[in-house]
Amino acid sequence: MGAEPIISLRDVTKVYRQGSVDVHALRGLTMDVEAGEFTAICGPSGSGKTTMLNLIGALDAMTSGSIVLEGRELASLNKKELSELRRDRIGFVFQAYNLMPVLTAYENAEMVLWVQGVDGSSRRERVMGLLEKVGLKGMENRRPSELSGGQQQRVAIARAIASNPVVVLADEPTANVDSETAETLLELMEELNREQGVTFVFSTHDPQVMERARRVVRLVDGRVASDERR
Amino acid sequence: MKILRMAWRNLWRNGRRTLVTVAAMTLALWSMVLYTSLMEGMLGSMETTLLDVELGEIQVHADGYRERPSIWERIEDPDALLQALDETGLRSTARLLGGALVASGDVSTGALLKGLRPERDALVSEVHQRLDRGEWLDPADTKGVVLGYRLARTLAVEVGDELVALSQATDGSMANDLFRVRGVLQSLSEETDRATVFLLEDEFRNFFALEDGAHRVIVRSSEGQDLAAAAGLVEQAAATSAPGVEVRSWRDLLPGLANVFDSAQAAVQVVAFVVYVVIAILILNAMLTAVFERIREFGVLKAIGVSPRRVLALILVEGALQSALAIGIGLVASLPALWFVTTRGIDVGGLGGTAIMGVAMDQIWTGAVSPLTIAGPVFILLFVAGVAVLFPAIKAARINPIEAIHHQ
Repeated sequence: MGAEPIISLRDVTKVYRQGSVDVHALRGLTMDVEAGEFTAICGPSGSGKTTMLNLIGALDAMTSGSIVLEGRELASLNKKELSELRRDRIGFVFQAYNLMPVLTAYENAEMVLWVQGVDGSSRRERVMGLLEKVGLKGMENRRPSELSGGQQQRVAIARAIASNPVVVLADEPTANVDSETAETLLELMEELNREQGVTFVFSTHDPQVMERARRVVRLVDGRVASDERR
Repeated sequence: MKILRMAWRNLWRNGRRTLVTVAAMTLALWSMVLYTSLMEGMLGSMETTLLDVELGEIQVHADGYRERPSIWERIEDPDALLQALDETGLRSTARLLGGALVASGDVSTGALLKGLRPERDALVSEVHQRLDRGEWLDPADTKGVVLGYRLARTLAVEVGDELVALSQATDGSMANDLFRVRGVLQSLSEETDRATVFLLEDEFRNFFALEDGAHRVIVRSSEGQDLAAAAGLVEQAAATSAPGVEVRSWRDLLPGLANVFDSAQAAVQVVAFVVYVVIAILILNAMLTAVFERIREFGVLKAIGVSPRRVLALILVEGALQSALAIGIGLVASLPALWFVTTRGIDVGGLGGTAIMGVAMDQIWTGAVSPLTIAGPVFILLFVAGVAVLFPAIKAARINPIEAIHHQ
C-alpha cells in the first residue's frame, strides 16, 4: 500500500437543516485513505456513510473541517473545478446502477471518456477492454433494460474506472443484487484493485463486502468508531 | 454527436408524448403557412385592385376638389400636365367626374359618371380587364357605358339594355341622354360597385357641356419606384404645366387602408404568435414532464462530471429535434395545401362580394407564396419552441446531483 494518503479528512462535520432542526450527519470525522486501498465504510443507518462518500466525491460541501484529495483542498475549489475533479479523478458506483437507459452498455461505459474529450478510437480501445474485463464482452450493444442487475452494475463499474480515477466511491454497490451476483461483483472489484491498483471506498451494510474488505471503517453517529486493517 | 444521439433516443422513450407534441407543432405550422399565404394573397389582390384598377399611386386634383367635389373644380389644362408627366416617364391619364341620376325602367339611382379616353386609360388602369360581362368602352360605340357590379343589379340592367342619365350641365341646362349598357364590371370597390358609370370622355363632355379641363389625373409610378420620389416628380411637372393643383399619393388619399397594408404583416405575426403560445405551453409541459421523469439521470450526469452546459444542450437539442421534425413534416404537408390555394383558391363568391375598407376581394380568394410565407411561421415556431424549452433545460442544468440522485 502507498504510504501517502490520497484522501485526507480532518475534523469534518456536516450539518443538514431539516425543517427547523439541525441534523449532524458527521461530527468531526478524521481519516485517511491511501492509494490502492480496498476500504469498506460500515455502520448503522444514519451513521454518515453516504454523507462521507458524497463529501469525498465533491458532490456535497462540508460544514467545517478539511478534505484533501490528491493534495487539493476541496473547499477551495469552485463548482467548475469540482465538476472537473469528479470527471477526471473520481469514479462513482451507485446502489441503483444509475445507467443512462437510452445508451448501450458500451456508450454508458464510455460516457466519462467522452466528457473528457478523449478521441473515439482511444475510447473504443479502452472501453472494449474494460467491458471484456468486467465480463460483458458481446453485450456492448445492449441497453440497461436488456441486462440483469449484476450486469448493469458491471457496466457501472466499467464506467467508474474508465477514466483511471484516483478513487472509486461505491455507495452500497451490492445492495440491489443477490448474494451470488454480489460475490462476483466483489471478485471483480478485488481483481481491479489487485491488478490495476484501483482504490475502492465502499459504504455497505453487507457482511460479504466487509468480509472481503482489507480495511473496515465503522462509523457511529458521524464519527469513526473503529478502523480495522487486515 | 453523442448529445444528438442521446437526445434522439430520449425523444422516443415516450413516443406517444413526442408524437403528440410534434403533431401539435406540425398542425400549428401548417395552418400558419396556409394562413400567411392566404393573407398575402388577399393583400396582394387588394393592392392590385386598389392601385392597378382604382387609384393609381398618385392622383392630381384641382385645389379644393377633394374637399368639395364639383364639376366646376377642375384642372384647367390636363393635356399639358399629361404631356409633362409623359416627359418624366410616368404613366398618367385624365378622368372627368360628374354626378348624375341614372335610370332604367322604373328604377333610378344616383351615380358618378367617369369620362375617360380608353387608349390612354389602359396605360394606367386595369379596370378594362375587370369586366364581369360584356365589353369595355370602345370609341366606335359612343353611347356605350360600363357599369359597376351593384349598380347594374340595382337598376336591373344587363348588357344591351338602355340607360337614361339626367343631371345639370355646366352651362345650366338640363343634361340628359340615352346610353346603352356595354359592359358590367366585376366587384372592385364599394364606390365603383355601387355608383360608377364609365363612359367615353367626349360623351361626358357632351353630356355636361364641359369643353375643357379634367377633374382627376391618375399617375402610376414605375416598378419599385419610391412613392415619395414619384410624387415629387409629379409635383415638379404640375408646377409648370398645371399650377393650382393638389398632388396626393394613395397613402394620403386612403390613410386608413395604407395602415391596414402596413400592419397586415404584423397582424399575421401576432396571430401566429398567439397560435404558437398555445403550442409553447404544450412543449413546455412535455419537456418539463420529460425533465422531471429523468431527474436522477441528470443528477448522475452531473455527478460523473458532465457540465451544466452539456445538460442544457441535451434538453435544447431534444427541443430542436422535435421542432425540426415538425418543420419537416409541416412544410411537406403544406405543399399540397399551398398548391391548392395558389392555383385553385377558395370561392368566396357565395358571400355576395366581400370588401375590406371598401376594397373588394376577388371572388376566388387565392393565396400567394413568398419567402416570408414559409420563413415567417418557421422562425416564429423556432423562437417559441426555443423559449418554451429553455426553462426545463435550465432546470435540468442546475439540478443538484445529490438531491437528483436520491429523487424518488
